[in-house]
Amino acid sequence: MNAPLNEPLIEVKDLRVEFDVRDGIVKAVDGLNLTIYRGKTLGVIGESGCGKSMTARAILNMIPKPGKITQGKIIYHRRMQNNGKSQLDDIVELTELDPDGKVIREIRGGEIGMIFQEPMSSLTPVYTAGIHINEAVSLHHLTPVRKVGDQIAEQVMAHRTVTKEEAREIAIKMLRQVGIPKPDQRVDSYPHQLSGGQRQRVMIAIALSCEPAMLIADEPTTALDVSIEAGILDIMRELQESVNMAIMFITHNLGVIASMAEEIVVMYMGKAVEQATVVELFKNPKHPYTQALLRSIPHLHEKKKGERLASISGMTPDPFNLPTGCVFHPRCPMFMPGKCDKIVPKWTKVDEEHWVSCLLYEEV
Amino acid sequence: MAVVEQTQPVAAPSAKQKQVGQSYWSLVWWKFKRNRTAVIGGIILVTFYLSFVFIPEFISPYALENTSDYAEAGPTRIHFVDAEGEFHARPFVYGMEQKVDFVTRSRTYTEDTTRMYPIQFFVRGDPYKLFGLIPTDLHLYGVDQKSNPEAIVLLMGSDALGRDWFTRIMYGGRLSLTIGLIGQILTIVFGLSLGVISGFYGGAVDQVIQRTTEFLNAFPQIPLFMALAAAIPTFWSPLAVFFILSIILSFVGWGGLARQVRGLILSLREREYVLAAKSAGASDGRIMFRHLMPGTMSHVIVIATLAIPGMILAETALSWLGLGLRPPLTSWGVLLFDAATVRAIHNTPWELWTVPFIIVTVLAYNMLGDGLRDALDPYGTR
Repeated sequence: MNAPLNEPLIEVKDLRVEFDVRDGIVKAVDGLNLTIYRGKTLGVIGESGCGKSMTARAILNMIPKPGKITQGKIIYHRRMQNNGKSQLDDIVELTELDPDGKVIREIRGGEIGMIFQEPMSSLTPVYTAGIHINEAVSLHHLTPVRKVGDQIAEQVMAHRTVTKEEAREIAIKMLRQVGIPKPDQRVDSYPHQLSGGQRQRVMIAIALSCEPAMLIADEPTTALDVSIEAGILDIMRELQESVNMAIMFITHNLGVIASMAEEIVVMYMGKAVEQATVVELFKNPKHPYTQALLRSIPHLHEKKKGERLASISGMTPDPFNLPTGCVFHPRCPMFMPGKCDKIVPKWTKVDEEHWVSCLLYEEV
Repeated sequence: MAVVEQTQPVAAPSAKQKQVGQSYWSLVWWKFKRNRTAVIGGIILVTFYLSFVFIPEFISPYALENTSDYAEAGPTRIHFVDAEGEFHARPFVYGMEQKVDFVTRSRTYTEDTTRMYPIQFFVRGDPYKLFGLIPTDLHLYGVDQKSNPEAIVLLMGSDALGRDWFTRIMYGGRLSLTIGLIGQILTIVFGLSLGVISGFYGGAVDQVIQRTTEFLNAFPQIPLFMALAAAIPTFWSPLAVFFILSIILSFVGWGGLARQVRGLILSLREREYVLAAKSAGASDGRIMFRHLMPGTMSHVIVIATLAIPGMILAETALSWLGLGLRPPLTSWGVLLFDAATVRAIHNTPWELWTVPFIIVTVLAYNMLGDGLRDALDPYGTR
């Protein structure tokens, strides 16, 4: 927290992820640039299939087959504690690590935690909460404990070395931290005995058990109902403050992202189309896609009778056959014939901390 | 809160809590208990394993190597009423007179009603070491050999060397039952680990493992058994032969299990928790054996239980063919081998007593396995 402002943690540079499938090559992520700063929250929004989750997976070097990172770099500014005395700074190129190697496994869970959209199936059914937490802790040789506590135990175990009792204590502590009632009992609960919200809390506890420098939250509240969603978001915010953790928050819920993120990246078909601070983006969206997205939020008071909810015209293009030029041009209300369908827009700075990729703001 | 605590009986919250906290295995046990057939099967097996594997020395009246003068004697008749029509609360046997027909060389036995020997429980007899540790000479039943050295009680007759057949069945059960269990454990170890690896990695690893299992399955089993068993050197110690035989049995059996496990893993590995474990920094080995394998256990337990009788029968068949265990080892297959001549069936039909033991064991395993299959799916209805 005493760290200088805007100290980069993860820099994604010109990232491209390709899937070589039977019908051709799909570019799930195409030339993406973004930077995540220590202790800050970066929101990533976009519709389904636009490459949000693949970006997250690429950061952990967990692209599923047959996907490949074909281009670009992901630079991780690693900071390790050297027996608590000093800090060792190191720069790691994540895409060049062996995906099953020791280093990336230390980083996964230990330094970059991740939580998923589906809390219902993200916990191994045969382990209690405590075992999960302790596994996490033990995997990273930390001083750990967590059963939802078992799942959490898994993480704690991976990063420090601890006894069973200590592990249990850690698991209970973590469960209490994420607001699970009666953590000393819940620590022995199996996933099927927990509600969806509780499971997601356990997932958060697992992810946080090793005090990661960054948390990737991939639509963490999509499967939960709204009241529980609010609780989960509160917990994430509180914990972020207490451990100075960066969050990469992936969602397609504009309301959620407005309350969570400091900076937002809007993605469309594997590309970033706009990036700005949260206030700037909502007040002053530049890219026609962002503008269309914001128009499609229902407003309680401004709606006139009989008015229909705005939607973006057209469909997302066929990924095997992407439009030339700007990929958004077939759906764009500001389409400029002869320009948008010919020229690929560049990443342009339109304002302080406001970048956009659109020919409207480029002099061509 | 305090009001609630006062008004509610103390037991109520804990009972409720217990119900809420009911784990998968307690549900399984609850359902298993209600299946009478399976419980009976389980009880039979526990009894068999306890008495045949652990304490056959105690159950049987004689030592295995005890050869009496009463060769090829039929089962001794056990009496409650003596020749004068008097009732005795304690059962007894008569002494036996042996006559040999020197033309046919067959022996006939007649009861000598002048000699009565009471059958005693917990009688002193041949010395042995219980569990291979505690030296004792206590037997479950028998006649007192010290005061009546010529008395004998043969529940199921004796063989050509005068050995008590019931004793031999007891000791034979020890090997036959353990070989089934050990063979099946080895099968699970091979089949489960190779199946998990095959399903998890897919690709070339999967191809190699699956083609190997197909290759093994394509082999005609009996000739394969025979070839492998014939390769065991005859000078090996009986114990070595025993272990090699269980390895051979599992070598043929693991393929089917590996396939089933692979199929389960193929579906389980797509679950989100695998991704979650990976993102927590778990290695491939950890994901496979800590997160995926437990999900296949209920299936594997059922398959394994139902496959053990196959192992026992395979041992029996091999030994009966003279390819498996050989004397001086005693197994049910070896006993059947003894009984498998026309002469034996004619002269000593009691040697077929081995068969009911095999049948009951196999049936008990099937009853248990069926019960487990139902119980391990406690949410299913049937």
